[in-house]
Amino acid sequence: MSLPLYLAMMKNHGKMLGGFIYGASAYIVLIIWIYPSIADMKGFNEMIAALPEGMRKLIGMENGINSLSDYIAGEFYGMLLLIILMVYVILTSTRVMARLVDQGSMAYLLATPNSRVKVAITQAAVLLTGLALIVGFTTLSGIAASEWLIDGYQLDVPSFITLNLLTFLVFSSIAGYCFFISSVNNDEKKALGISAGITLLFYMLNMAGKLSEKTEWMLNFTIFKWYDPIKMINNETEALWIGCALGILTFLLFMLSVAAFKKRNLPL
Amino acid sequence: MIQVKGLSKRFTDKKGLFDLNFEVKKGEVFGYIGPNGAGKSTTIRHLMGFVKPDSGYSSIDGMDCWKNAARIQEKTGYLPGEIVFLEGMTGLGFLSLVQKMRKQECIKRRDELIERFQLDVNSPIRKMSKGMKQKVGIIAAFMHSPQVLILDEPTSGLDPLMQRVFIDLILEEKQNNKTILMSSHSFQEIERTCDSAGIIKDGKLVALEDMHLLRRVQRRVFEVKVKSEGDMEQIIQSPLVTEVKGARTIHVTVQGNDQEFVQLLSRCDVQHIDTRPQDLEDIFMHYYDRREVEK
Ligand SMILES: Nc1ncnc2c1ncn2[C@@H]1O[C@H](COP(=O)(O)OP(=O)(O)OP(=O)(O)O)[C@@H](O)[C@H]1O
Ligand SMILES: [Mg+2]
Repeated sequence: MSLPLYLAMMKNHGKMLGGFIYGASAYIVLIIWIYPSIADMKGFNEMIAALPEGMRKLIGMENGINSLSDYIAGEFYGMLLLIILMVYVILTSTRVMARLVDQGSMAYLLATPNSRVKVAITQAAVLLTGLALIVGFTTLSGIAASEWLIDGYQLDVPSFITLNLLTFLVFSSIAGYCFFISSVNNDEKKALGISAGITLLFYMLNMAGKLSEKTEWMLNFTIFKWYDPIKMINNETEALWIGCALGILTFLLFMLSVAAFKKRNLPL
Repeated sequence: MIQVKGLSKRFTDKKGLFDLNFEVKKGEVFGYIGPNGAGKSTTIRHLMGFVKPDSGYSSIDGMDCWKNAARIQEKTGYLPGEIVFLEGMTGLGFLSLVQKMRKQECIKRRDELIERFQLDVNSPIRKMSKGMKQKVGIIAAFMHSPQVLILDEPTSGLDPLMQRVFIDLILEEKQNNKTILMSSHSFQEIERTCDSAGIIKDGKLVALEDMHLLRRVQRRVFEVKVKSEGDMEQIIQSPLVTEVKGARTIHVTVQGNDQEFVQLLSRCDVQHIDTRPQDLEDIFMHYYDRREVEK
């Protein structure tokens, strides 16, 4: 890794990253803040129960809202954060590689005594640092808000942290294949299109898979199968196994990307 | 210092590089000329290790350009043909990033070059004109005093004054025994700086010569406008190669017989005289014709 490049890229990247961090943190604080009024609302769970099952699964409220944890996991991790992280990962992975090759500024980075491998690893580090910062700040904001902003409702902090770690790992894997696509493409728009296309396909398979039992097989073809926030926060998943598997997958995808970038012809 | 041996890269049947061979010795300045799309930049991309050749190889200081790209950069300065910098940086910010990535601390040479090219380094690159960006690129290529310089169309975008500054810089580096390869469209530019030159066309090297030789056989066309028909007649009658271009305007081709040309003109009433730019192909077609005759 090249430290000067890493710092320059982080700085370059700061504004956009700041926006994502601010969006995610502010929203989790807001959603925790209004939790007491929803929990106290009579008939809310009955209303949810009246929805068809597929629908309930889709909005992450199979069993209604029974605890703060369920609520945060279902409402935020299952919906908005998922979209925020998806957008961040797709945009950033395209920016750190394909864009530099497409525009030609990669030529300058490789005209210094830093190998392609080193440059690619630095860019991967920038991508993963950004992702870690978003998830990290969200975690901290979530814990802080549930401690200080509301009274009488307890957030199980260790499980919440587990959820966040797994979230980070799931999106690292997504970052992994997006980074691969970005590393082998000369055209920024094409890389963006392919990454977004694949990820949306995964997302739709996930939605469709949850709709009914007939479509459940679709879940086997999407990475979001591994991402079930409510189960994660209730410790109903094999967190350790899934975590390790995702970690290894991420590592392999990034290795593959760096190797592909090293070997390929660059149109600089 | 720079070696290219049997280098081939096929894009299509006509496009690419086909069995390129040349060598630039240490301390030599090599001019690389050719029309648009001839393959100059493609050759340079090979030297920088951006592209893997289909066959053949290129090397700098004995190191293979594809396999040792990063190590070669320690002693090489590169100016890309199309300059695009990282976004959201000032000229100075960019230059110091490059310096840090080179682990280079001394800023004396950098500031000296900034001064020389009169560059306002504090403006954001996004707002710079083409010429200003070109200057940033040139400074980035020269500021670590590399042993080898690879420059792709270095003077494009520079105004005539800055072109002079640049040519002086090249001559100075030549004095310092640096090895330089520069591509260009302009024969004049190459003529003033280079020891030898290679001409590439459609991916093939069509000539590889010592600059002195090229200069001797260089053909120039002058457009002469005289005041009377009588003078026209006199020029047409002379042994020089001529071509009437309009009322009292005539093109005279001079190749090694400059003296004769000047003497002829001194007998005429010249109203206006100008040189016609020569395209490279012309120069080389005539170069070959001439060689055949000499044999
Ligand atoms: N990656 C590529 N794939 C296909 N064709 C390519 C590729 N790179 C270059 N070419 C083609 O190879 C030819 C040579 O291009 P190159 O950029 O080397 O020309 P050049 O001599 O530098 O021209 P110019 O004077 O315009 O800079 C062009 O016709 C170009 O279209
Ligand atoms: Mg070119």
